[in-house]
Amino acid sequence: MKSFLKTFSSVKLAIFLLILITIASILGTLIPQQRTAAEYAARYGQISKLLVQLQITNLYHSFWYICLLFLFSLNITVCTLTRLSPKLKKTFKPKLEKETRKLLALKIHERYKKNWDLTRTRDEVKKSLTGYRYRIKEDIEDERAFLLARKKALGPYGSDIVHLGLLVILIGGIISGAWGLRRQMNISEGQVLPVPNADFSLRLDKFETDFYPNGSVKDWRSTLTVIEGDKDLTSKTIEVNHPLAHKGFVFYQSSYGWDWQNPTLEIWVKKTSDSNFLEKMSLKMGEKHRLEEGDTEIALLNFIPDFIIGEKGEIATRSLEPNNPAAYIEGWQEEERVFSGWIFAKFPDFARMHSDKPSDFSFEFKDFQAGQYSGIQVSKDPGANFIWAGSVFLMLGLLLAFFWPTREIRFILEESQQKTDIIAAGIAQKNKETLESEFASVMTSLRRTK
Amino acid sequence: MNESTLFLITFILYIISAFFYFAFLFSKKESLAKTGYRFAFLGLILHSLALILRTIESGHAPFTNMYESLSFLGWSAIFAYIIVEGKFKIRRAGPYYMLIVIGLMALASSPLMPSEATPLIPALQSDWLWLHVSITMLGEAFFAIAFITSIMYLAADAKEKKGVDSKTSLTADKLDSVSYRCVAIGFPLFTLGGLIFGMVWAYKAWGGYWSWDPKEVWSLITWFVFALYLHSRIVMGWKGRRSAVIAILGFLAALFTYFGVNYLLAGLHSYA
Repeated sequence: MKSFLKTFSSVKLAIFLLILITIASILGTLIPQQRTAAEYAARYGQISKLLVQLQITNLYHSFWYICLLFLFSLNITVCTLTRLSPKLKKTFKPKLEKETRKLLALKIHERYKKNWDLTRTRDEVKKSLTGYRYRIKEDIEDERAFLLARKKALGPYGSDIVHLGLLVILIGGIISGAWGLRRQMNISEGQVLPVPNADFSLRLDKFETDFYPNGSVKDWRSTLTVIEGDKDLTSKTIEVNHPLAHKGFVFYQSSYGWDWQNPTLEIWVKKTSDSNFLEKMSLKMGEKHRLEEGDTEIALLNFIPDFIIGEKGEIATRSLEPNNPAAYIEGWQEEERVFSGWIFAKFPDFARMHSDKPSDFSFEFKDFQAGQYSGIQVSKDPGANFIWAGSVFLMLGLLLAFFWPTREIRFILEESQQKTDIIAAGIAQKNKETLESEFASVMTSLRRTK
Repeated sequence: MNESTLFLITFILYIISAFFYFAFLFSKKESLAKTGYRFAFLGLILHSLALILRTIESGHAPFTNMYESLSFLGWSAIFAYIIVEGKFKIRRAGPYYMLIVIGLMALASSPLMPSEATPLIPALQSDWLWLHVSITMLGEAFFAIAFITSIMYLAADAKEKKGVDSKTSLTADKLDSVSYRCVAIGFPLFTLGGLIFGMVWAYKAWGGYWSWDPKEVWSLITWFVFALYLHSRIVMGWKGRRSAVIAILGFLAALFTYFGVNYLLAGLHSYA
C-alpha cells in the first residue's frame, strides 16, 4: 500500500503518463479511426492486421488507452490528496514564526521601534491589516506577540480544484461511455417512431428546408411532437443548434434525405405504331396501374436515385442524391409478364426494356417525387452534467491558481521599556510586486499613526 | 470606406510598425520602438473597425471562413501584444512578433483565401460561435507571444552562457518569466474557449460534447503540452531551456490545431 501511494504520488509519473497519452492521441489523429478492415488493408497492407489487433484503429476506445487514462486519473487523485493535508494544516493550523532572524532573512522585511506599549501596537497593527482585508492569527507570550496576516488564502487550492474538475469530467466521460446513447432516427412527415430505450414516441409534423438566395441551405426545421401513450405531450420546432429535450433525451436536427423507398413517378406512355398516343400516368412503388387502352398493367418494382452498374454487373446507387434516377417497371397482361426493364429520367433514349412478348408501348420517365425525411439524432447523455460541473471546477481552479495569489505578512512585536520593536516580513509565491506595495503601505500607515 | 480597404490600411500600418521595430532593433533607440507600438495600436483600432464592418455586412461573426479567421487571429495577436508590451515592456520581442502578425495578414490577403462573405451554414448558426472562436484565438495569441519570448530566451541564454553581456533589460530571466505570464493568461482562455465552450457547443449542435474529431484531439494535445509546461515548472522546478522548449512545442501544437488539422486531417470541423 505504501509503495503504491509512493508510486502514484509522483509528479514524474504524471508527466510520463501525460507524455504517453499525448503521443497516443497524436497517433490516433494520424491513422483514420473506426474504418472498415478492407480500408485498412488497402491503406496499410501487411501491418493493417497488427493495427487492428493493437486497437490502434479504434484507439480512443481501446483497452490500453482507457487504461492510460485510468492510471492518469489515479495519479492525479493520489497526487492531489497527498499534497492536500499539509496544505490544509498550513491553512487551519499555521505555525506562527517566533524567531526574529527568520523574518529578517526574508526579502521583504522591515524593523523599527514605536513609542507604544504592546497592546497598543498590536491593536494598531491589526487595524491597519484588516483595512487591507487581511485575516489575522495571533499568539502572545509574555512581552512578545506574533501575528500572521493572510489574504486570498484559497489561491493554493486552485490546482486541487482543477484536478477535482478533471476527475469529475473523466467520471462524466465514463458515464457517457457506459450509459450514453446516440442513435440516428430517419423520420418522414406524418410518421410516428418509437424512441429507442424510451417509453415515448416521436412524430414529425412538418419538415422544411430554408434556402439562402444563392441556393445554399440556410436551415432545416423539423416540428416534432412527443407522444406518450396516445397523448400528444409537447411540440417543438427544432433546427440545427436548437434541439428538443424530453426526459433526459435530446433530439437534434442532424441531416435530411429523401424517402427513396416510396417515390411517386410520372411516366409518359407512348405507342410506336401511333405517334398521337400519349398517356400520362402517376405510379407509386409497388402499385399496378392499368393503361386506359387494352388490358396492360404497369407496375413499379424498384427505384434507384443515383443509378450505376457495379464492377460485377450488379445494380447499385452511387449516392442518396437524385443524380441519375432510374426505375424498374414491368408490364403485365392477365397474370403474365409481357415486358420489364429500366427507364432513366435523365436518359429517355436509354431505356433497357426486355420484352417477353411483342409490345407496342414505350415509356418515358418524366418526373419523380419523394417525401423528404428528417434525420434526427437522438442522444441520451447522463454524463453531460458531470462535464459541465467539472468544467466549472476546472475554470474556477485555474482562476484561483493563476489570479488569486496568496499573500502573507508576519509580525513579531517585542515590548521593552514601554517601547515596542516591530519586526515585519511579507511572503508571496506569485505577484510579489503587489505584496511589496501593500506591505509598504501597511508599514507607512503604522509609522504615521501617532 | 469598406472592409477590404480598411483591412489593407491595417495591413500597411502593421508593416510600418514592424519597420520601426526593426529600426529599433538595429539602432537601439527606444523612441523607434515607441513609434512602432503606436502604429500597431493605430492598426488595431482600424482592424477593429474592419471587423465590425465585416460583421455588419455579413450579418454574422467575423470568423467563419479562412480569410476572416486569419484576420481575426491577427487582430487577437495585436490585441494580446498591446497588453503584454504595455505591462512587461518586451520591446525587443516586437520585431519578431510583428513578423508573425504580418504573416497572418499576408496569408489572409492571399488569393488562395476566398474573402467574400458567404452565408452561414446551419451548423455555425449559434451564439457559441462567437464565444468559442474568439476566446480560443485570444488564448492562442498569448501562446504566440510565449513562443517568441521562449525562442528569444533560448538565444539569450546561449549568449549569457558564453559570457556575452546582453546589454539589455530584457534578460534571459525576464524572458522566461514573461513566457510564463503569457501561458498563465493563455492557458485559462484556451481551456475556456477552446475546450469548455467547444464541448458546450458540440453538445448543442451535434448531440455529443466530445467526438474524438481530429481538431478536438489536437486542441486536447495542445492543452496537454501546456499542462506539462505548468507542472514541470511549478512542481518540478524546470525553468529556462526545458521550459522554453515545451512552450515552443505548445504553440506549434496550437498552430497545427488551427491550420494543420484543416488541411491534413479530415473531420467534423471541416468548415473552419
